[in-house]
Amino acid sequence: MIEVNQLTKKFGRKKVLDGVSFTANKGEITCLIGINGVGKTTTLKAIMGLTSFSKGSILIDGQKINKNMYEKVAFIPDAITMLPQMTIKQAMQFMQDFYQNWNQERATELLTFFKLDEKSRISELSKGNTAKINLLMGLAIDVDYILMDEPFSGIDIFSREQIADVFASHLIEDRGVIITTHEINDIEHLIDKVILLDNGIVLKEFNTEQMRQEEGKSVVDVMREVYQG
Amino acid sequence: MNATFNNRDPVYLQVVRYFKEQIANGNLVAGQEIPSRRELAATMKINPNTAQKAYKEMEEQDLITTERNYPSKITKNENILQSVREELIITAVESFLQSIRPINVPIDELLRIVQEKYSKESSKEGL
Repeated sequence: MIEVNQLTKKFGRKKVLDGVSFTANKGEITCLIGINGVGKTTTLKAIMGLTSFSKGSILIDGQKINKNMYEKVAFIPDAITMLPQMTIKQAMQFMQDFYQNWNQERATELLTFFKLDEKSRISELSKGNTAKINLLMGLAIDVDYILMDEPFSGIDIFSREQIADVFASHLIEDRGVIITTHEINDIEHLIDKVILLDNGIVLKEFNTEQMRQEEGKSVVDVMREVYQG
Repeated sequence: MNATFNNRDPVYLQVVRYFKEQIANGNLVAGQEIPSRRELAATMKINPNTAQKAYKEMEEQDLITTERNYPSKITKNENILQSVREELIITAVESFLQSIRPINVPIDELLRIVQEKYSKESSKEGL
């Protein structure tokens, strides 16, 4: 389980996170939603130990975060981090050299799943395919938790569908996933848990199926209440 | 396995409902193997936890049986299968009645219209 407790982070005098607390379980997909800008990416970066915070704590399976977090958690940023002149094959080789826990079998499977060719150059990929490669690079690492920053933003509908399909597939296995997004439509049926953030605070945290069962509300219904209420 | 889901009812109950429909219309028969939870999640594009919950619910309702290390199967209990069909029919008729009752149509006229429309729709679908 990832436990975020009272996380507080300031940029200058502005608090981007003001006592954010939530949990994300292994084997579940947790969605961090925020209507306007700040907070989501910072939270993911804090979990990875990529950014400092002024107050609060983060525990991963009961352990404080440390510099070896990359063995347990993979972070998938919203922009590609590979060199544009590399082919997909070279980029995968690069990852394999760097990560001891790189799983080439899963990487190949993902490539087939996304119908991509390993001979393509990163620079030649469409936006949608770039997002898929980005996802592949993160998912092919054997870790217990995966953090994805805006995997759906700015890409075409078919790529979004393909990416959403990954969440329903065995490629996720029983790992814990945290996704940030501001578009919920593609994945409403796929997520277990929702955290609604605004201006650095958690407005609501709920389980999607429980919400449907007990209150008959969709995720968007709750968002409308919370953000426009 | 082609089902569309609404966003306001629990997805696992919509999956159970889908299986019941398939039993009622004869697409799924007594003793038939059903997909694994993983396969179901992938084909229906739902969360694997939801697929798991749907199967657990169906096991509790004795619609499916699961023995260790074997794929789950539709129950062989004909009474249960028959009652699934009846349950679906009664629920559908009840919701129909609820919407038609305020219009106060004489039963003869109503039955005639239902008969006409029903056979027309069925022939359109090539049944």
